[in-house]
Amino acid sequence: MILPILVLALMVGTFGTLLVYVASLLGPKKKKTVAKYMPYECGLPGQETKKTNVSIRFYLTAILFIMFDIEILFLYPWAVAYRDFVDAGQGAFMFWELFVFIGLFVFGLLWEIKAKALDWE
Amino acid sequence: MGSDVFEITVNVIKMLIIFLLMVQLVPILVWVERRGSAFIQNRFGPNRVGPLGLTQLLADAVKFLFKEEFVPPKSHALLYYAAPVLALIPGAIAFGGIPLSMPIDIQPFQMFGSEWGPYTFKFQSYDLDIGILFILAISSLGAYALLLAGWGSNNKYSLFGALRASAQMISYELAMGLSLVGMLMLYQTLNFSNMVELQKGPLHFMFFGKEILIPFLPNWGIFYQPLGFILFATAAFAETNRLPFDLPEAEGELVAGYHTEYGGLKMLLFYIGEYGHMMVASAVMVTFYFGGYELPFSLSDSLTGAVRGAFSSVNLGNVMAALVIHVVMLLKILFFLWVFIWVRWTLPRFRYDQLMDLGWKTMLPWSLANVLATAYLILMAGSAV
Amino acid sequence: MAEIVLFYLLAAATVAAAVGVVMHENPLLCALHLVLSMLGVAGLFFLLQAPFVGAVQIMVYAGAVMVLFVLVLMLIDTNQDDEKFSGGNISALTKGLSVGVLSGLLTSIILRTPQSLQRSVTYEAYEVIDIAKLLFTKYVLAFELLGVLLLVIPVGVVALSRIRGGTHDR
Repeated sequence: MILPILVLALMVGTFGTLLVYVASLLGPKKKKTVAKYMPYECGLPGQETKKTNVSIRFYLTAILFIMFDIEILFLYPWAVAYRDFVDAGQGAFMFWELFVFIGLFVFGLLWEIKAKALDWE
Repeated sequence: MGSDVFEITVNVIKMLIIFLLMVQLVPILVWVERRGSAFIQNRFGPNRVGPLGLTQLLADAVKFLFKEEFVPPKSHALLYYAAPVLALIPGAIAFGGIPLSMPIDIQPFQMFGSEWGPYTFKFQSYDLDIGILFILAISSLGAYALLLAGWGSNNKYSLFGALRASAQMISYELAMGLSLVGMLMLYQTLNFSNMVELQKGPLHFMFFGKEILIPFLPNWGIFYQPLGFILFATAAFAETNRLPFDLPEAEGELVAGYHTEYGGLKMLLFYIGEYGHMMVASAVMVTFYFGGYELPFSLSDSLTGAVRGAFSSVNLGNVMAALVIHVVMLLKILFFLWVFIWVRWTLPRFRYDQLMDLGWKTMLPWSLANVLATAYLILMAGSAV
Repeated sequence: MAEIVLFYLLAAATVAAAVGVVMHENPLLCALHLVLSMLGVAGLFFLLQAPFVGAVQIMVYAGAVMVLFVLVLMLIDTNQDDEKFSGGNISALTKGLSVGVLSGLLTSIILRTPQSLQRSVTYEAYEVIDIAKLLFTKYVLAFELLGVLLLVIPVGVVALSRIRGGTHDR
């Protein structure tokens, strides 16, 4: 079951590596000048390196993403099984089960919005 | 992968062909993008090299190959080289999981003096029962290529581009995943082939115990979940970092985003990765909402019947029929790719806070509401499809 | 047969990646090796005929948790802070101690496991729908409690970043 995926990944990886390698062989070899090897800056001499302050919001977004991602993953098996339960007469139970779960989800989302954790000024 | 030499060989070749199909669509798409943008903006676009400028692609490819090798100083060389290759892999794996045509049945036949048993070849690299879930999971790995490119090239523009891109990708992944849940309730499966099977025939469903049949519409997902489709399509634009959501490469602020320090063939690999993600998104849209590789109603059956009738050998007829159906799927995918290009040259770019607001405060609640409304309707109306 | 070869290959790759996590000096490379290790574990789940768990492993661990790690590691200047991550005698002592304890536990478990290679249980492929039917009926309380548990994450994160001395101190 997993073998074709691994073979495909290997195939694509080899293809990409080969292309990069061949291109590195074919390209012209020119002298390395200081200006060429400066980090790209818009016409000015480079001042900053990558040591710059980054907003903590990226980090907050990533943590919130993990939480919501896990909740959504649980909806997938639920969605696949839902109509079987409806046909078996247990639909109402399943619906309210989901309602409570999504209710918690929405509560979390509303709390985040109210706490301005999702605002990007 | 297969039980004998013939099956394994065919499966490996099939895998290679599907991958190469994806790769060679990219130059054509670049050409369509440039000519299309010129058409939309009342310009000519590249029209000098060959008829309609078509051989421009070839010239570009050769140019990419012969570019000077460049590694930014103080960068992490391994990560710098690994990023473009990694950009390629998730898209290629995801594209392999989507059925591009119907399975090909091969009757027993004679070759090299021995009997080769009956086979069924699926028109996809691999077929998993959890289809869509695996493809979403693999696509979520696409963020690494951008992060490594941004960090590996030792440039603040690259780093900011990568941060923006990954934050945007993960934000819209939520709405993307949720928008499909409504459709999954109706299909009751995660497997793509089963979904295509369920969308055959005219629009018909059970509603409050009555059977409703609308003969002039196909039984496509879009008619059950229009809101889900709109949400998914919007999220797909954001996932692929295309305008109006191409903040990671906003040239006014970030030069070129995470691939600022890349050039030549490594840049091309990033392009292939981006277009690969677009192709996956289009193929998933087609399979979920537009009947997959099937033509509406029973046109597929009559078409394949006609093709099979034209060939004396059963096996050859089956192969040709699958190829004809494959063209249908390709045309559907190309239509959505054109929509991607069309939108890019029509809409202006969002601001970053607007982008995040749209993802978290608009699309997430709407897709949650879509899930609840669908669930309630199914509960009230009994079985739907 | 092919499955056994595949198992050993994947297991070796997973362990090698895990060794890379502890051996690399650059924390970002450690995190990337951890991603590879997670993908290897996902592959092992696939081999155990549990594709749903494998996909979840890729999506949550490789696709979400590790993206967070990599994001955070990119924000700190790793060239300067290398020593804080790997160095010092106390750090080496704790590393050695934890490796010793863990390998001791593992060997004791391996030694206690009956050594017959015969499969007493035949594993059936888990359909997603079977998981759902168990999860949403028998274990429904756990499912809802998980919702509550996940709710703690955003509240806790925002609260922590808002306390005095935190990053969002007001």
